[in-house]
Amino acid sequence: MQEGTPLQSRQINAELLRTILNSPKWFWIAISILGLIVLFAMAAAGIMINKGMGVTGLNRPVMWGFFITNFVFWIGISHAGVMLSAILRLSKAEWRRPATRAAEILTVFSLMTAMMMPLIHTGRPWRLVYWIYTLPFVPYDYARGIWPNVRSPLVWDPSAVYTYLTSSILFVIIALVPDFAVLRDRTTGMSNRIYGMLAMGWQGNPRQWKLQIIAGVLLSALILPVFVSVHSIVSWDFGMAVSVKSWHSTIFAPYFVVGAVHSGVSAVAFVLIILRYIYGWQNYIRHEHIDALGRLLIVVATGWFYFLVMEIIFGIYGREADEIAVRSLQFTVNPWAIWMLIFVVITYFLPVAIWLSKTGRRNLWIMSFACISVNIGMWLERFLIIVPGLARKQLLTFDWYTYRPSAIEWILVGGTFAMVSMLMLFIARVVPLIPLYDIKEAEILRTSIKIGRVSVPATFRED
Amino acid sequence: MAASEIHGHGQHAGMWVFPDATVISQDISAKTRSMPKPFTIALAVTGILFILGVVGFVARAADSGFDEIAPWGYYMAMFSMVFMVTSAAPLAAVAFRFTKSHWRRPLSRVSELFSIIGILNVAMFIPLMLVLPSLDNPAGVVEGQLELRRTIWIEGPIGAPLAWDFLGVLFLALTSMAILWVSAMPDMAESRDTATGFRGWVYRRLSSNWYGTKRQWNAQKAGLALLGAFYFMIMIFVHFEISSDYAQSLIPGWKDSIFPVIYSVTSIQMALGAILITMFIMRRWGGYEGYYGKAPFWSASKVLLGVTLLWIYHLFAFFITFWYGRMEVEQNIIKYLITDTYAIVFLVNLVFTFVAPFVILIWNPVRRSAWGPSLAGLLALIGGLAFNIRIFVGSANAAPGAKLYDSFMEHVPAPVYPDVWDVFMVIGGISAAIFIYLAASKLLPLLSLWEVKEGTMYQKWGKLFRGEYLILAKPE
Repeated sequence: MQEGTPLQSRQINAELLRTILNSPKWFWIAISILGLIVLFAMAAAGIMINKGMGVTGLNRPVMWGFFITNFVFWIGISHAGVMLSAILRLSKAEWRRPATRAAEILTVFSLMTAMMMPLIHTGRPWRLVYWIYTLPFVPYDYARGIWPNVRSPLVWDPSAVYTYLTSSILFVIIALVPDFAVLRDRTTGMSNRIYGMLAMGWQGNPRQWKLQIIAGVLLSALILPVFVSVHSIVSWDFGMAVSVKSWHSTIFAPYFVVGAVHSGVSAVAFVLIILRYIYGWQNYIRHEHIDALGRLLIVVATGWFYFLVMEIIFGIYGREADEIAVRSLQFTVNPWAIWMLIFVVITYFLPVAIWLSKTGRRNLWIMSFACISVNIGMWLERFLIIVPGLARKQLLTFDWYTYRPSAIEWILVGGTFAMVSMLMLFIARVVPLIPLYDIKEAEILRTSIKIGRVSVPATFRED
Repeated sequence: MAASEIHGHGQHAGMWVFPDATVISQDISAKTRSMPKPFTIALAVTGILFILGVVGFVARAADSGFDEIAPWGYYMAMFSMVFMVTSAAPLAAVAFRFTKSHWRRPLSRVSELFSIIGILNVAMFIPLMLVLPSLDNPAGVVEGQLELRRTIWIEGPIGAPLAWDFLGVLFLALTSMAILWVSAMPDMAESRDTATGFRGWVYRRLSSNWYGTKRQWNAQKAGLALLGAFYFMIMIFVHFEISSDYAQSLIPGWKDSIFPVIYSVTSIQMALGAILITMFIMRRWGGYEGYYGKAPFWSASKVLLGVTLLWIYHLFAFFITFWYGRMEVEQNIIKYLITDTYAIVFLVNLVFTFVAPFVILIWNPVRRSAWGPSLAGLLALIGGLAFNIRIFVGSANAAPGAKLYDSFMEHVPAPVYPDVWDVFMVIGGISAAIFIYLAASKLLPLLSLWEVKEGTMYQKWGKLFRGEYLILAKPE
């Protein structure tokens, strides 16, 4: 699968470094608008910290709402990086090449954004110090055995997420070294010094390439367990809770991981379409790449749907009155029932119907629509797991209530989307969002085989 | 052996073989027709063991009848073992055809041929329909018991579970055989004029309309894709049925949404193992070295490693949720299936399904060999047998009689050991499957000729700078 015309190394450098060396006019306008939204969200957070959690819609028994939904959502998005970079690198999928860098960087930013959400959710973020340190002047600590409970999945979470964040950053940097060297050789002054430092003496000799490739493959293999553990552990925030019916399910871990890949890969496909449009990278992000992502997404989405069905069936299978009551709330009581229907349609049936058609996969507008649809659906999925489970009266709760998010919560959630977009735009000014060396390597390996009168695209394989 | 170019040097030696397309059909036909002595002995031994299995079955039926499920635990385990391997094996051909992996070409037919054993699955499933306890509690509403036991057939629709389970097993067998038929049609057509006897009759009957026109090729590829997608969905559904109706729902209080997934993952792992072992045997002793390079072993081994890791991941997800949940019923189920009653069987399962294959497959030089992945596959099969014994013997004996309708498992039962009839049935059932496969391999060649020939067009050896590398073409 190779479309487009062969590219020369010089042309690749010029076109992919254009975003860094010459910034487009609209850049600062876009940054300003997104920045304003982020500031607005920060102000909302400030109000919440100042006034207390009462300004949110959270109330007994629904103490987890938009913030935690958003946390799980962004953790999910972060799964695109490893899926596209590590797994496709190990499986030697040629079409991965233009997608890897954007996916890895999206991983880092979405993880950072995700980790903000529990902090905001605490209402008093400075109290994080109680979770981390045992200090003489801190009133609550481990020694008193009051708080926190280190055996809680809520403590496993930060451990897994920060490990993933660290390894993802490392993954990005390792892959960036050869490109930093290219930038070093094309910049002057302070930029030159910074890129020079980041390039770590890269000269592109065979030994360095060998080490870089080995490091990439090793990191790919090592990051995989971390990748799987992160969303598994996030799922166990829910799955370990016996008291909230509909949460205590053994399938939650793989269900969350596959769901994360579903939303993450969709997000990357959308980001790639945007990049192609705003930076004119038609030669690099081609229809074939989006097509391949569409095909991958059919498999991922179907796997996810299977897990969803298992989760629901075994919820009812238990014949436990409390759980059936929650399921009944989810499926038969409005607005949950309508949301549930919308969620299933926009997360699976609609996008998969689109992806099953080659025209759908190759039409960038339709693909964008499908990818956005998946992400709205996946956000809803998390919301529909969290809120109905808590809203329904459970054992040992003395009241039940529903949840209505406040304006503060809407603004904060909107702010996270603006922040990730802003960071992506910023980073496009600093590093190439399509790896130069990967594209150049693909050009070297590109060839064809003549079969009868037809020339079939082919690739050299190193092993 | 057909003239084959064996390429590569150093660690790549023997990785890729490009058979000579002009003589491949003749050579493979000769291999299919031949009946070497070791083959005849294997056929005779498995045939005798098959008969022994029938003896075991008849004796068990005479001894215990079909009223209770408990005496049939080992039979269930054996059925499940054979079913898991043979239902998932054709998926290897289907899945890797979808991904257009060239390395799959030599193993496609090896995997598709397992479809034939579907007939055995259907036959072996019938007694299981007789022993499955009713969904309705015969005692009606009793305190501490359920009126309708836990089931995936929530309110017990018409025919549930037996008719649905049977239809599932039947359709799965029919679809897999349809895949085999569509896939083998070009090969049968090629030999129909030269083949004689029963083989010739079968070829003529099953490929009479095939002339290799462009339209036929397009229809064949579309048919394989559609049947493959359909097969995959049915397989997952039938695994869900079997793992729930014959395992989970027989243990009071076992509510485990991940179990059908574990069942499917184990099945895929075992099927890959069986395919690799078959290829290894044919390569080593069947004269297929010129057709099965090391590349299919290498690539399949990576998939096997992935599936092995998936298995432990899913098992851990189950374990941690139950262990952390600390509910009495969950504790009891862990004790029953993992730490207490069937602890040794679980240990065998864990070591052979995960630990040993993982330790073998993490080494690239081992993955690049033919023996390494095959050994891992063999171990996975042993682990799979332990898995089936643990689960199905466990489920058949978890709640004798009326206790089946209890809300949850209060006491952890003792293990049930096999008697002589159980041993006969387990060995006999597995041997029956091997016997059928061996017989089928004399009807259809163990190499998908059209796919291998097609592969020789899409793969070649080429020079890049100072080295020689493999070039792979991917049409569309």
